[in-house]
Amino acid sequence: MKIKAKEKKGLVEVKILLDSPMIGKEEAETRKAEVDFLTHVTAKINGKVVWEASTGPFLSKNPYFMFNVQGKKGDELVIETIDNKGNTDSDKDKVK
Amino acid sequence: MQRRKFLSLGATAVAAASVLPVSLSATDFRATAPKAWDAPSSKEAIEALFGSSEMIDGQIEIKAPKLAENGGAVPIGIKSKLDLAVVALFQDANPRSAVVVMELPEGSVADLMTKIKMRKTANVTVVAKGRDGKLYSAVQKVEVSIGGCGG
Repeated sequence: MKIKAKEKKGLVEVKILLDSPMIGKEEAETRKAEVDFLTHVTAKINGKVVWEASTGPFLSKNPYFMFNVQGKKGDELVIETIDNKGNTDSDKDKVK
Repeated sequence: MQRRKFLSLGATAVAAASVLPVSLSATDFRATAPKAWDAPSSKEAIEALFGSSEMIDGQIEIKAPKLAENGGAVPIGIKSKLDLAVVALFQDANPRSAVVVMELPEGSVADLMTKIKMRKTANVTVVAKGRDGKLYSAVQKVEVSIGGCGG
């Protein structure tokens, strides 16, 4: 996954690009692939949850999110994801 | 009716317990409102998720292209000056309507963007729950020239 977080006038603009094919039931049948999509994404700044999303397979492949949260330069941003099989992934970056 | 209610509650609890570690999320809308994710139309999905379809129009801005060339990644921006707690995105282009339900903690700003799949031209609906408990909505039609659902 890719994370970009930049402070702008007291707000942190976060941009994330996650890794998932986001294959739903119908797509799995036509493409003969397994159902595989993220079900939940959480963003934390200095350990506190600042944004989260329950997600479905109709997000684009390798889902992209932009959101604005409170924070400042130097804060630690952690993104955690979980998919429909229960696999988790996480990545972190400092706010610039 | 009673029995059916009881059964569905049980299934929800089991799904929540087995699929998600509690530490990862405050509210997992896939577990708390499983019907919302199976609903074929936006109207049904909204009712299943929020328990009501009484919404106030006009205080949320959707930024989406009028004509999307690539239905595999249609950018949808959502902006509002309201203090929003939950922001949900629905569309009528795919077999099921719900796309994403985002939660914003107190003190955050409703300025969001994501990309969704749309296999045909359809309406995109944003429904948000304010911290005042009211539901707000906005609808925009997006024309899609190439479908993006892999089939």
